[in-house]
Amino acid sequence: MSTPARRRLMRDFKRLQEDPPTGVSGAPTDNNIMIWNAVIFGPHDTPFEDGTFKLTIEFTEEYPNKPPTVRFVSHMFHPNVYADGGICLDILQNRWSPTYDVSAILTSIQSLLSDPNPNSPANSMAAQLYKENRREYEKRVKACVEQSFID
Amino acid sequence: MADENENEKMDNENQKPEKMFTLKKWNAVAMWSWDVECDTCAICRVQVMDACLRCQAESKKDSYGKQDCVVVWGECNHSFHYCCMSLWVKQNNRCPLCQQEWSIQRMGK
Repeated sequence: MSTPARRRLMRDFKRLQEDPPTGVSGAPTDNNIMIWNAVIFGPHDTPFEDGTFKLTIEFTEEYPNKPPTVRFVSHMFHPNVYADGGICLDILQNRWSPTYDVSAILTSIQSLLSDPNPNSPANSMAAQLYKENRREYEKRVKACVEQSFID
Repeated sequence: MADENENEKMDNENQKPEKMFTLKKWNAVAMWSWDVECDTCAICRVQVMDACLRCQAESKKDSYGKQDCVVVWGECNHSFHYCCMSLWVKQNNRCPLCQQEWSIQRMGK
């Protein structure tokens, strides 16, 4: 069955393959275009560098009028990532626009890794360390990067 | 025209025997594009002049076999399929591209 949401996701996939943004990749799961697996590589010159962080993206039939649910599968230590992997990012909630696609979502999450927003914390420990003890923050993130190779 | 060119060419050849090239054929190529700010609907990513994804899926057709899916321009000059935009404004009455308050400037093809 081909619905507008599924057709849009096919276009997203095509665009992601034809014009892949650096440091992110994603593809629909084998039997369901509404569920995608993605990988974000930790951006250079950040403590996340070299990490390979896996995510799942779940779309509804209301896409692109409603944002998908994006979740880190890899364990993350980041001020805006909840313990269950959920992401606190304005464009995935109240600032969503139907002009975003998978490519835009993944690059936004990638830039969130470089620029956390400690003022709206999803992980208060990470936010506090980010603000007050950057060295410890980086140590915890590095542990996450190591973990991401095994996950 | 051809004779004139021929004469001119001979004149030129007489005056400047050192000339290495003569223009024998000139092909003009014209490019065109739709005269709109945004030619692809940023919501469904189909050209605004084609039917939107929803209409394609439902294959709505009028008597001419053309799909009846119109374009809407906002005051901000951004264009979308009317179908795509009418679904979006129900939840947020802003232009998805510039976040300005959405108000329709014109509709049509």
